[in-house]
Amino acid sequence: MNILELHGVTKQFGGLVAVSAVDLEVPQGSIFSVIGPNGAGKTTLFNCISGFYRPEAGRIIFDGVSLVGLRPDQIAALGIARTYQNIRLFGRMTAIENILVGQHSRLKSGLAGALFRLPRTRREEQEALDKAHQLLDFVGLSGYGDMFAHNLPYGQQRRLELARALASEPRLLLLDEPAAGMNPRETEELMAFIRRIRDELHLTILLIEHDMRVVMGISDIVAVLDFGEKICEGTPQEVRCNPRVIEAYLGKGVA
Amino acid sequence: MGLRTGIRTGLIAAIVTIFLILIGVHMLMGRLLQSWFYVPAHWPGVWLMVVLLGLWAGSRAVGQMKARSWGNTLLAGASAGIIQGALVGAALYLLASITQAGVDLRAWLTQMSQESIAALTLGLAPLPAAGFIGGVLLVSAVAGAAWREWRLRVHAARLARGERTVSLRERLLEIPAVAQVSSNPLSRRVLMGVFMVLLLIAPFFLGQYWNYNLGTVGIYVILGLGLNIVVGMAGLLDLGYVAFFAVGAYTMALLTAPQPHHIQMSFWLALPIGVLLAAIAGILLGIPVLRMRGDYLAIVTLGFGEIIRILSKSDVLTGFTGGPRGVRNVGHPVLFGKDIGNEFYFFYFILIGVILAIIITRRLEHSRVGRAWRAMREDEKVAQAMGIYTLKYKLMAFAMGAAMAGFSGAIFASRNSFTGPEDFVLLVSINVLALVIVGGMGSIPGVILGAFVLKGLPEILRELEDYRVLVFGALLVVMMIVRPQGLWPASRPQLERPRPEEEALEEAPAELVEGEVGS
Repeated sequence: MNILELHGVTKQFGGLVAVSAVDLEVPQGSIFSVIGPNGAGKTTLFNCISGFYRPEAGRIIFDGVSLVGLRPDQIAALGIARTYQNIRLFGRMTAIENILVGQHSRLKSGLAGALFRLPRTRREEQEALDKAHQLLDFVGLSGYGDMFAHNLPYGQQRRLELARALASEPRLLLLDEPAAGMNPRETEELMAFIRRIRDELHLTILLIEHDMRVVMGISDIVAVLDFGEKICEGTPQEVRCNPRVIEAYLGKGVA
Repeated sequence: MGLRTGIRTGLIAAIVTIFLILIGVHMLMGRLLQSWFYVPAHWPGVWLMVVLLGLWAGSRAVGQMKARSWGNTLLAGASAGIIQGALVGAALYLLASITQAGVDLRAWLTQMSQESIAALTLGLAPLPAAGFIGGVLLVSAVAGAAWREWRLRVHAARLARGERTVSLRERLLEIPAVAQVSSNPLSRRVLMGVFMVLLLIAPFFLGQYWNYNLGTVGIYVILGLGLNIVVGMAGLLDLGYVAFFAVGAYTMALLTAPQPHHIQMSFWLALPIGVLLAAIAGILLGIPVLRMRGDYLAIVTLGFGEIIRILSKSDVLTGFTGGPRGVRNVGHPVLFGKDIGNEFYFFYFILIGVILAIIITRRLEHSRVGRAWRAMREDEKVAQAMGIYTLKYKLMAFAMGAAMAGFSGAIFASRNSFTGPEDFVLLVSINVLALVIVGGMGSIPGVILGAFVLKGLPEILRELEDYRVLVFGALLVVMMIVRPQGLWPASRPQLERPRPEEEALEEAPAELVEGEVGS
């Protein structure tokens, strides 16, 4: 069963076609990677899915619900969480607060609850805090919970961003170049961690990466974008040998 | 090396000194010393300022030097002093000769009276007077340089002995009693209690004038806490905040005053209506403008603030708002048949308002709503991706801030028995924003401190009169350079629970322990 389906999604900026009639079918529980050279339209595709761009054409169906026209916060509430290529944490909030914000759409209390300290609100806050501690543990940031996010070292910021995304209990996790700025060893560890997230938390992962080697080990399916078009899709093995992919990455004539 | 820094510093010091003399700050110092320390004449204050400026020039010259030695120090101090003394002396010579020739300088420089110049010439002829002030400046500059050199050497020797320099805060915490009080929550609470009791009995001793001024500070605390929600937490730069203050004040005034509407509602009924209308105004203004960001939002809100004021005094609406003459005889609160509309009762009334505003802010700050606001301030797009409906939360912040402004506006109008368009000039918005920034954005004690510094201090420094705005401006500039985070910045919330290691391992569910081992 597919948790996410894209049918003919097209996004233009003026005359530039950033994403052109892309179809994707992401099976539930898979690790699905979208790769492609810089400027291939990968992040634009993410922004279409998470509601920041409205595609000119095409349909995006998440678990039977059409996402086109929904606001980003509504899409987040449906169970899609994301991270960013250049880490975007809430800098002047502590690590725990970042995770608490991540839980926003899972919590209910509003103005009245906060102003009158209703028992329901207090219970909810307590549970949210418990969960934040669990997540802090899960990504290995125990002891850093009360530090401002912008004071954390780079690697830990990455992990905090993951914890924040996981806090919303997503069914689909969008990761935008999570290995950016990491050395090969760290990248390997990260990929193992991503697999662990999928297995332990039973969610689907859609991963963007421009470095092809990074995703080969963990992906179930790989789709390749080039100049906004999907040029091939298949298992890592199939994609690696595809002449069009080699051409896109290395230039004409090499294949 | 010493010569160059000396000359440069001397130039700067001379410009500063001449400027301060031209605007008459030396006379102000003289009068301040006279009235505060019962000095019989004003010349000691005048010359204290001159000597201090000389000391500053010498000390600054040494502070700017890289290669230091006693020779260099003397050179720097002397050159700074000579430059400063010569230029200031020349300026004084000019001023004194012109005055002597019978020209009244006050036509151009309002503070340059005969008396003001005589305080510097000490009755001497222009030339000897110029020589005298130059000499004084030279001596003080050399002394300042020597003093700085000595301080720096003591400091260096202390560092060489491995002694660390400690901040005032650390030094205070070294005193056992202070450390105990600051670490023990119970004693902190007792301290708070003592403070509260002092506040409660204060109006009995302070008298009308101070009760009124403390009330004004309180009104600004409430305004500041409200704007703090909008600017400090939600990060929406609102320069038209006074509009909501005006809505609250006019609601109170129009509903309770005999003119122009003859409704004469009770204060107690008009107050919640004022708060509610201000909140609604916040939402109504918010809907069109909140799609904008940063600078654009600031400009548009600035416009809205002015629109409200101009509307309130427009001819068309005179029948409704009372026009430029405002509304008189605004109703007072009446409790058990007694009019409690004087400074004394209003002090308590405002105190209750302040406490309420503090409780509201504290509860919101660390709730789901407050976190959403702060997340929006940090990164609006990401906040949206986390499921925060930013438009809704922005309107909520605007409405909460506006409600607090409405509350203080309603009290303000009733306390003054009057309100008019001139109560709601742009300066009010700017003042409130300044007190939030000076105090420390997003910090409750910061806002309170800011209100005291910006609204209370000017009342204490009544003698400064014309110079208040100057001092205020200088203070703001210095603040932004020395302490941009504000006087009392917001503290980080401590939410992470320390985990006793063994216990955690024993009690944690099996899968979690495995997970840890596995990672």
